[in-house]
Amino acid sequence: MPTDEVLLEVKDLHKYFGDLEVLKGISTEVRRGEVVAVVGLSGCGKSTFLRCINQLEVPTSGEIIFEGTNTLDGSIDITKLRERIGMVFQSFNLFPNMSVKKNIMLAPVKLKVMTEEEASVKAEELLKRVGLADKADEYPMKLSGGQQQRVAIARALAMNPDIMLFDEPTSALDPMMVGEVLNIIKELAESGMTMIVVTHEMGFAREVADRVMLFHNGVVVEDCTPEKFFNENDNPQVKEFLSHLI
Amino acid sequence: MAYLEETGVIKDIFAYYGDIGYDPEIPGYFSAHPEALAAIQVIDHYSPETEDSGDDQNFFEWLWSEIVKNFVEKDRYQLIIMGLQNTVFITIIGLALGLLIGIISAIIRSYHDMRNKFKILNAIVRVYITVIRGTPILVQLLIIYFIVFASSGLNSIVIAGIAFGINSGAYVAEIVRAGINAVPKGQLEAAESLGMTFNMAMVTVIMPQAVRNILPALCNEGISLLKETSIAGYIGIVDVTKAAMLIRSQTYSAFVPLIGVALIYLIIVLFLQYLVGKLEKRLNNAYR
Repeated sequence: MPTDEVLLEVKDLHKYFGDLEVLKGISTEVRRGEVVAVVGLSGCGKSTFLRCINQLEVPTSGEIIFEGTNTLDGSIDITKLRERIGMVFQSFNLFPNMSVKKNIMLAPVKLKVMTEEEASVKAEELLKRVGLADKADEYPMKLSGGQQQRVAIARALAMNPDIMLFDEPTSALDPMMVGEVLNIIKELAESGMTMIVVTHEMGFAREVADRVMLFHNGVVVEDCTPEKFFNENDNPQVKEFLSHLI
Repeated sequence: MAYLEETGVIKDIFAYYGDIGYDPEIPGYFSAHPEALAAIQVIDHYSPETEDSGDDQNFFEWLWSEIVKNFVEKDRYQLIIMGLQNTVFITIIGLALGLLIGIISAIIRSYHDMRNKFKILNAIVRVYITVIRGTPILVQLLIIYFIVFASSGLNSIVIAGIAFGINSGAYVAEIVRAGINAVPKGQLEAAESLGMTFNMAMVTVIMPQAVRNILPALCNEGISLLKETSIAGYIGIVDVTKAAMLIRSQTYSAFVPLIGVALIYLIIVLFLQYLVGKLEKRLNNAYR
């Protein structure tokens, strides 16, 4: 359940790729414990928005205030910021040269957040949580897509982030495996994790999200509760978007 | 020269140079006729040896006698061993220096491409790679030996090692850079999203994966380098190829020394390929 505390505040965010303006002034707030689903057609800027939050893309202008500090003010250490922001990618991006457990332990140990032993305990605990306790010593290539994505979630959680960003976490999966990953994300939401989920899974957005944001051509055209978004919306752009779905 | 004596060719040669009174008994006779002597030596080069004029030898007997003559007699095999030592030594210096230069160059190029750093260094590296890849290695070797280190007093083997290292570095740089580029971009993003610095991500995530891409090509570069050192004779080094040529000039037979040297190169190359095959297998096992 969302609290009243504002965790993340985005003000008038703009992002250009060369001459192309991908984000045209995004402003929003995310409260601690809130689950925000970001939806929209391909190329609308929703992934770029997500990647701007942990500065995998550097915003052209605007403000991103995370836990009270402006992260775009050049003086802050981006790596420290990223330690508190977990991210899960469409293509999993597990490190193929390390076992599942090593994947999870790498960042906490290298960044000296935990000792080797603490990280090992943490990794086992997280693997249990995503239902892969028996896969600790496997290499990622041996796992199914769904299993890899669950490991990727565990890896992001190992740093104890305050917010999780999901960039189309189920888009690269077989339909059979979408459910297992969404269930993990849903459990995570229920445990009170703040998250922003870029997704094409409308069922998930309707069921899990506290809020749905619709992006269109780099602008937020709707930002409301899922009930309002899916049931009684008279915004023509929302109707247009929903008509694209089967 | 016995053959020329027997057939009377020597007499004819002296006659050709205007002296019909050929008599080898007279002291100083040969040195009085340098042109004739030179001609005799040239012809002698191509004359058959009188001992093996018999045609009843089969190929293997002939081959054995050639091997004995070229490698065993007068301990000529020691020339080959010395040459081999020099070849291996030049290759090792070249490889070590090439790896050093190549990896540094590749890191500069990658940092520039990924992080827009090292603009000037990157330009220097690009010029270096272009020049090295655009000129023949023999010319580079001659320039480095006769111009760059002309008055350095350095051992020519070390100079050759440096020349081959500088050459190899350009190729290694491109191999390493391609290997780094072949690691999916998502790997760096994943590492950075966890809070790792770029350097940390390069060392723990990108490079270990790049090594796997790089290794086969790097091995080929090492093998090329080994073979390319065969031009070291141009700057007066007795490498294994030059050793074979020296033996040839002493025994007047080309077959055994040159084929022998080719086999030596081949055996070394096959051995290196075997080692790298094993290493690659080990790296691959880790993945799947």
